[in-house]
Amino acid sequence: MHIQDFPQLASVEAIEQGFESYGYICSRKIATAVFLAFQLRKPVLVEGPPGVGKTELAKTLAQLLDTPLIRLQCYEGLDEAKALYEWKYGKQLLYTQILKEKLGDLLQGAQSLADSVAKLHQFGDIFYSEEFLEPRPLLKAMQQEKGAVLLIDEVDKSDYEFESLLLEILSDYQISIPEIGTVKALSTPMVFLTSNNTRDISDALKRRCLHLYIPFPTVELEERIVLSRVPDVDDQLRQQLVGFVHSLRQLDLKKAPAISETIDWARSLLLLHAQHLEEEMVRSTLNVLLKYEEDIEATHAELRTLLKDSATDNSQAP
Amino acid sequence: MQSNLVNFIQILRSHEVRVSPAETLDAVEVATTLGYADRGLLRDGLAMTLAKTPEEEAIFMLCFDRYFQQSLADFSASEEQGPTAEEANTSPAENAAQQAHDFAATQIAALQLAAEDNPNLRSLLETPLMQSLLSNERNELTLAINQAAEQVGLQEIKMFTQKGQFTRRILDAMGEDQIRNTVIALEQVASPALPVLQRYRDTLREQVRGYVERAHLLRAEGKTRQFMDEILSKTRLNNIEHIYLHKVHELIRKMAKKLATRHSRKRKLLKRGRLDMPKTLRKGIPHDGVMFNTYWRQTRKEKPQILAVCDVSGSVAAYAKFLLLFLYSLQDILPKVRSFAFSSHLGEVSAYFDDYPVEKAIELVNWKYGGATDYGNSLLDFAKLALDDINSNTTVIILGDARNNNGDPKLEIMQHIYQRARQVIWLNPESRRAWGSGDSEMLRYQSACHFSAECNNLKQLERIVDQILKSSR
Repeated sequence: MHIQDFPQLASVEAIEQGFESYGYICSRKIATAVFLAFQLRKPVLVEGPPGVGKTELAKTLAQLLDTPLIRLQCYEGLDEAKALYEWKYGKQLLYTQILKEKLGDLLQGAQSLADSVAKLHQFGDIFYSEEFLEPRPLLKAMQQEKGAVLLIDEVDKSDYEFESLLLEILSDYQISIPEIGTVKALSTPMVFLTSNNTRDISDALKRRCLHLYIPFPTVELEERIVLSRVPDVDDQLRQQLVGFVHSLRQLDLKKAPAISETIDWARSLLLLHAQHLEEEMVRSTLNVLLKYEEDIEATHAELRTLLKDSATDNSQAP
Repeated sequence: MQSNLVNFIQILRSHEVRVSPAETLDAVEVATTLGYADRGLLRDGLAMTLAKTPEEEAIFMLCFDRYFQQSLADFSASEEQGPTAEEANTSPAENAAQQAHDFAATQIAALQLAAEDNPNLRSLLETPLMQSLLSNERNELTLAINQAAEQVGLQEIKMFTQKGQFTRRILDAMGEDQIRNTVIALEQVASPALPVLQRYRDTLREQVRGYVERAHLLRAEGKTRQFMDEILSKTRLNNIEHIYLHKVHELIRKMAKKLATRHSRKRKLLKRGRLDMPKTLRKGIPHDGVMFNTYWRQTRKEKPQILAVCDVSGSVAAYAKFLLLFLYSLQDILPKVRSFAFSSHLGEVSAYFDDYPVEKAIELVNWKYGGATDYGNSLLDFAKLALDDINSNTTVIILGDARNNNGDPKLEIMQHIYQRARQVIWLNPESRRAWGSGDSEMLRYQSACHFSAECNNLKQLERIVDQILKSSR
């Protein structure tokens, strides 16, 4: 197996900087995980609440390494025909039809049935060769010569059976195809699995992965993220809005706003030419941050105190 | 350092973080890749291989900090000296350090002076332990403590009562007894060097005591808990004191969760419904397009329904508490569980379990349904409430001692349930020998059960329920 070397991943600091240049501000922990994943050739299981940048991590890494990103979205009922490979049945049928006469010609000289079978055997398994193989995401990732980033998204949505299917790929980077044999990866892909914790992942799968939990970011980190994603928002508003989102996360909500929502909200405030957080403005744009009606109602009631809190927090901070 | 890492993993295991040998290898690899220089980096890296859930990560962080905390206090006996300390507060730090150094030097000088006419003390001063104490070699002392700890098997510490014993043994292994003897000898002659030597001895003792304390926290905490859990799960339920209720609750929750994951709904290929044309065609290709096997579009999820009925009358009060606890946890985890409680009459209590925290719910159920037992009447109530819902997917679990106060057992209702349900299970807290004695109707009810068992501790409960769920598929 060829091992691709990426100078971008030489050290934890280099990774941090590289990610930042593509607008992904990562914590030290995330950078360490990527570094270890590359050094130890291990897949990373990324867990965390929705919207903290799990999928984005893989995307940015693909950009950074300039390799293709191959994505496999998991869902209930996903099977190997859709994840690994499938035979091109249509093509196989077509070819047998076309080659019928050709075969007749070839077998003309044969004296007996056994003779013609022996003759046919000389050609090997023509119809079960790589030409007739339709690679699906997992096999495709193995076939990339320059390495790839393989993202297996929301693995918790798939069935238990599918997890077992992943085990061979994740530990040895190879796939067994009965008709052909074992296909080894041309170059080890960087593998990321994401999970939203809707169910427990089996221990066998966990054991093979590095485990990375991405929590909601700290105020400081989130401000940097907003700065890099929405650079036009001015400093004061950025501090206020991040502070407000953080105080929202303290409330007992059905779904707390994640980073992606913070960014969306910053963008919408920018579009509305907001200079600082005003109660009326927040009230009307709250649906960007919160996705459940009951959450919005609960927040409406406490909006004033929340705004006051985030304002005083910021006045103390500098 | 590697053996250090392995020790650390041992400790993690005792704190219920499951670390496999393969993960140990990964951890060693991580440590060599990252190096030992940056502590935070190493911690994050190890956490990724060793801790697999956020809860485990929290435990990991705690253990990591405790284990790799290797700061030893200053051994130069001068620090605690009154006048020096006061001066240190007023004068600049550098000056104070110089003074402290001077003070230590005078102390050593005093010792050496005394040693000249005391051969005992002289030989003591030449021992490596005393040498490193005098020169305040913290690294060497730490090393010496570590070695001594290994020698006396400190990693075996289990109970807090062993702390004193281990401290003594470590001190002995380090050669502290020589200091001790010399101190006694000096006391007899009232030498001026006595207080100095005493101070060195006390500092050393304090350090070792602290070291043992930390080791106990690290190693014994997990072991004690495991020990407790083990004992609790084997004790007869009626003997468990009320104060352990919350511990048992945790145990039961864990158990119920384990059972639920092992027996979660299973998909099953259907034999009818809509034909999956593409798949059928594809699978037919090897047979030249003849569709030998048919495949169907739908898969069916098995949705086992569980009806649990619990006796809460006086005769089983001690058990009922735990059985209700078990029901509560089960309902928490499995999707379709309906719970009922009865003594003289029966009612559904699922709503209590959904709405209230466990202790409150149990209290409410006991209050509402506690009293004298009447199985016949309760079965009537049950039939009214739930008989129509019992079908071939239903498992009925009855928890009770079947002591009916010589009333009418209404066996025909049990028979009815038996015929409709997939499974009827009776768990009886009384031992099998007592079944059928006195007013117990167990033997008669048994005839209308698919399975009946004696169940009076958590281990049995787990085993039985596991069996039930396995066979219910």
